[in-house]
Amino acid sequence: MLKVADKIKNTKKRINSLDFDAHWYRRVFHAFGASFLYYYMLPDVSWVNILKFYIPPIIVVFAITLEALRLKGLISSDHFFGLRFYEKKRVGSYVFFAVAILILLRFFPQQIAIPCILCACLADPIIGEIRKRYGARYVYLPGFFICMLFFLISWYKADIRLMIIVSIIGGFSATFAETKKLWWLDDDFMIQMVPAVLILIIWISLPYFGFSYPDLIIYPAEMPW
Amino acid sequence: MNNEMEYVKNQSNYNKIVRTELLLMPILVIIPLIVGSLLIYDWYVRGLLKGSSLDYFGELLLGIIILFVNILFDIPFLKSLKELSKKKFEE
Repeated sequence: MLKVADKIKNTKKRINSLDFDAHWYRRVFHAFGASFLYYYMLPDVSWVNILKFYIPPIIVVFAITLEALRLKGLISSDHFFGLRFYEKKRVGSYVFFAVAILILLRFFPQQIAIPCILCACLADPIIGEIRKRYGARYVYLPGFFICMLFFLISWYKADIRLMIIVSIIGGFSATFAETKKLWWLDDDFMIQMVPAVLILIIWISLPYFGFSYPDLIIYPAEMPW
Repeated sequence: MNNEMEYVKNQSNYNKIVRTELLLMPILVIIPLIVGSLLIYDWYVRGLLKGSSLDYFGELLLGIIILFVNILFDIPFLKSLKELSKKKFEE
């Protein structure tokens, strides 16, 4: 009897230790998303443009299908490592993450898309780590400066006034979107779309204020032939 | 920690976890490092060597940031994966 109790205790201990692993898995998964910036390095030639047009939506449709099958119970949630309890009966955050990246890549200029994608891929896990170690009230200031840094880098070719305005708005809105948790809309979506929409409004109104559009940050590669 | 924020886990998915992670590990770890390195390489080849490094300075910074943050998270991830695999083999 004692042996069984010990065994149960050990099993519980072992299963709980997986928390740590799932935690780092999610962080790495987030950081991996920054690889999608390679999209902007792809050469500007017709056959590559066709691939650029079709492959990202195919990946997103695949993720949505997978998620639909999971929610219908046709695929077990056990296959989705790193899933949180609140995601068990809701669309997983990776789908929100993918949809937001697709919208940014497809419909937004890269000067807006790049910092927003970096906020979700790099700032979000760093903010999460700060929250986990020091508590929720310590995330605002570092979160703001990290997100702001991404906007500063992406707008360094713009007029300095514009660069500062965009960085402050971008940093503030991304931090706000990350910290306000909504059950039905994931923060992985919000952290990308809230700053993107606000900066898009600025982008559209640039000519009216006498500013010129900043140059690209990532240039398409040249074909060697 | 809020219960809702905890991860879905049970004893039956223990093997699947290790398998999924091992399967995805090369993609999750290597691809961002390649992309970060390519951005830095592009800055070097088209920027620095051709004398227009300021135009490509953004690529350099993005490359460094992508590399740095990914390495920052890769190290504890690989360590935890190693421990998990060890536990699995000890069984």
